[in-house]
Amino acid sequence: MPATAGSIDCDGVSISYEVHGEGEPTLVLLPTWMIIHSRFWKLQVPYLARHFRVVTYDPPGNGASSRPLDPAAHGVFAHLRYTERVLDEIGVESAVLVGLSQGGQFGLSFAAEKAPRVSGLVLIGPSTPVLLTGPSERGRYIRDNFDNPAPSRPPSAVRSGGRDDRGDWTKYNRNYWVEDLEDFAWFFFGHCFPEPHSTKQIEDCVGWTMETTADLLAAEADAPAGDIDQYRDWAARVQCPVLLIHGNDDYIIPPVFSEELARLTDAELAIIEGAGHIPLARDPVKVNLLIKDFVDSRVSPAMAGA
Amino acid sequence: MRAVIPDQAGVVDSDGVDIAYEVYDNEAPTLLMIPPSPITHSRIFKGQIPFLSRHYRVVTIDGRGNGGSGRPADLASHTRQKNVADIVAVMDETATDVAVLIAHCHANWWAVEMAGQHPEKVSAFVAIEPGLPYIGSRQPHWAQAGATWDQVLANPTGWELFNRHVIINEHRSWVEFFFGAQLVEAHSTKQWEDAVAWATESTGEILANSEEAQEEDPPTRDEFIGLLERLGLPVLVIHGELDVCQHVDKGRELAELTGGEFVAIEGGGHLTLARDPVKVNREIKQFVDRISEVPMKTTTWTRGLQRRRKALYLSSPIGLGHARRDLAIARELKALEPDLDIEWLAQSPVTEVLEHAGERIHPASDWLASESGHFASEANGHDLHCFQALRNMDEILLANFMIFQEVVEEGNHDLVIGDEAWDIDHFWHENPELKRGSHVWMTDFVGFLPMPSGGDREAYLTADYNAEMIEHIARFPRVRDRAIFVGNGDDIYPEVFGPDLPKIRDWTEEHFDFSGYITGFTPPSADEAAAWRAEVGFGKDEKVCVVTVGGSGVGRDLLEKVIAAYPLAKEAVPELRMIAVAGPRIDPDSLPTHPGLEVHGYVDRLYRHLSVCDLAVVQGGLTTTMELTAANRPFIYFPLRNHFEQNFHVRHRLDQYGAGRHMAYAETSPDTLATVIADEIGREVNYRPVEVDGAARAARMIAELI
Repeated sequence: MPATAGSIDCDGVSISYEVHGEGEPTLVLLPTWMIIHSRFWKLQVPYLARHFRVVTYDPPGNGASSRPLDPAAHGVFAHLRYTERVLDEIGVESAVLVGLSQGGQFGLSFAAEKAPRVSGLVLIGPSTPVLLTGPSERGRYIRDNFDNPAPSRPPSAVRSGGRDDRGDWTKYNRNYWVEDLEDFAWFFFGHCFPEPHSTKQIEDCVGWTMETTADLLAAEADAPAGDIDQYRDWAARVQCPVLLIHGNDDYIIPPVFSEELARLTDAELAIIEGAGHIPLARDPVKVNLLIKDFVDSRVSPAMAGA
Repeated sequence: MRAVIPDQAGVVDSDGVDIAYEVYDNEAPTLLMIPPSPITHSRIFKGQIPFLSRHYRVVTIDGRGNGGSGRPADLASHTRQKNVADIVAVMDETATDVAVLIAHCHANWWAVEMAGQHPEKVSAFVAIEPGLPYIGSRQPHWAQAGATWDQVLANPTGWELFNRHVIINEHRSWVEFFFGAQLVEAHSTKQWEDAVAWATESTGEILANSEEAQEEDPPTRDEFIGLLERLGLPVLVIHGELDVCQHVDKGRELAELTGGEFVAIEGGGHLTLARDPVKVNREIKQFVDRISEVPMKTTTWTRGLQRRRKALYLSSPIGLGHARRDLAIARELKALEPDLDIEWLAQSPVTEVLEHAGERIHPASDWLASESGHFASEANGHDLHCFQALRNMDEILLANFMIFQEVVEEGNHDLVIGDEAWDIDHFWHENPELKRGSHVWMTDFVGFLPMPSGGDREAYLTADYNAEMIEHIARFPRVRDRAIFVGNGDDIYPEVFGPDLPKIRDWTEEHFDFSGYITGFTPPSADEAAAWRAEVGFGKDEKVCVVTVGGSGVGRDLLEKVIAAYPLAKEAVPELRMIAVAGPRIDPDSLPTHPGLEVHGYVDRLYRHLSVCDLAVVQGGLTTTMELTAANRPFIYFPLRNHFEQNFHVRHRLDQYGAGRHMAYAETSPDTLATVIADEIGREVNYRPVEVDGAARAARMIAELI
């Protein structure tokens, strides 16, 4: 159970947060795409909170935060504000930011724009578009189909232990979300977890998806986004130690993005062979130890020396 | 033999006294190791240097009065200030701008004063069993002995030996007592012998004067405490809880005053660096890494179920015998487990055999210190005291263990197979938390046995080593997942491990599985023998005597004696053809020549020659004699003098098979040997058969673990 929990009003958006533990430094486990909420950190919080103060917060649109339909309440620029407000609220001058996927965008942008407030950055499968590789297979499907009428596709095989076809990426579609968000979630998280025997991890994520709605997901999709130049600029401005963790079987965000980000930020890169997009759920022990070792070896000595 | 040799060694003049130093080149930081001379010198760090110098630049110093340094005897030459000046002189001479100081016992006082006077030269401080004034508790025996320091005592005993007159006149009595008292850990015989030997390279007068000089011109309590509080350095203190020289409170208080880290070694005494070197080494490395800029890098961790199954195989390089039997086992293992990757951590001469067989050798193998080179260095003519050679190999075993441990920590091996890999078995029992993967221990003999020439001391030492091994296995049965005896119950020498210790056979049968003997080849049938004879070029009417001394340089004396017997033997047996195999370490051209005598360096697949010869003359090593036994050939064998394994274990085993004619090298003249060669050559023999399925049996036992 959290030591404290509460919510902050950010220009009419209520952001719900929790604080666990009381060690130093403070780790903020950032939200990610609001299709899931802060419970996705459930395998990190108990361990890390025994060593550090751990803060989580829910994204607008899911968990205990409010449900804004205004696109401006979502996305990387809105989260710059939320992260800052959370740090202010708990009275922490600087913290280690830990982000998964889209949480990588939130962490990187904040570390660049608010450098004194970030003592370390851990990004896991970050979806930070720092490379001009052209649209990926997945990206093409999304770009070409997102606003189309809902596709006619068979239900996801993931629920019954199968694998979905790549062609099912046409389900990444605002109208399909309205039609069958749960089926989309089975499909999407099936692709996030290529590791065999991931039933519980996929079920968890589908359950958290069902706490939000297609309308909120659509609002988030319409939020202002940064372009490649913006992300490369942010990366170049990061001053703190950085750890990147990436599964080499990550279909959502190929590890080449972290390799490039590691060059731009002089980061330590930990590749997990056989892992997909969400190793923190599937290889929690390894990820927990990587985070702890990084804080102990890179962040704490730098803070002690400062 | 040392495990590593320095890249530079020299002396620097420090106010008229030569101060010896050694440098082991590497990347920064520099670790400067300061021994508490003159009671010892830089060799006290022999367990640390090979490991630390693989990761950092290491500079060692011999304090004035011992080691390679000068021997000024007067009191004024041994003040703390002189010792600090020596450290500065060595740093200047070796172009060391800044260093991590690592000091033991009272050298810590010099290190603290050094850091106070030259803060720019010191980046961090590792204090091992620190001897410092004012802090912690003082052992009461020092105060008591100090009270009678100057008096001439009648029959002083115990701590009363800490006395100016005793130290000057009976230097050895004092250092033997002192280090005996310090080594509170059981089974510390080698560490005690080392410490006494290093201490007695100095003199009692130097030691007595240095004891007084150390206390000269002391700082006040406030000055000294203030110095510690303002040190402003990363500090690591390592201290044995049972230290009877420097009370452990001293280390604890040093850490508190300096804001440093404190590592207590429970059950450890004053010489943890010698007695628990693996732990001490790893603590030092972790500390230095924590305070160093380590570059960002990419690492890969593979999910458990994604990993290929992987074994690391270690094959003892002492003698040539293990390589082929281990290859035979590895082949059987691969037949049982085709998707098992086997890599070898190996050194010469095993690597040559493995490379020839296309096996995968782990690149860290290049770092290993040479065990066979050490054994060759311990041999003297036809004399190899293999028990003492093994004891003297302690620093090589430790250096190689530290390499092995890094390999398994990075490699995530499922299985470690050690064929007489003494280092792995010993140090995993000493540091059981370091074990990785399943562990198979294999050996062809159990029990160290004393040679009569070693007297009571050697009987005590062998029993002590056996007792330690028995205690290791009793306390940590989980360290050996499988122990395989390469042989059968009858092969075990019918003795006890020592006074009050079990019978070797009873204990071994309780703790080992038996694979039977493993020759690594199948002896030829009668038809095949004729074909092999033709293939290796032995004529039908020739009587061929093959002389071989294995892969080390130890066999020169035996070769020379057999060659000296050759003309007489040839007279007695005109059809005699003698083929002497010198091996890779003896130059064939350096041996005497005779008409009809052939001398070769290396002979490919020598077992084929041995299998079809009419007589072999060999040393007493197990592999070659058992090859001859398996092939049912007559042979004469000469165990190396003082080699307990060849004189007891191998001889006993050969007796079980009714095989071979034993002769003692020292008592055999060339004339006698010629007569015996004539008697034995071509003789029909009928030994007990040697099993041919040993490798397959061993492989099945190992395969159960994966």
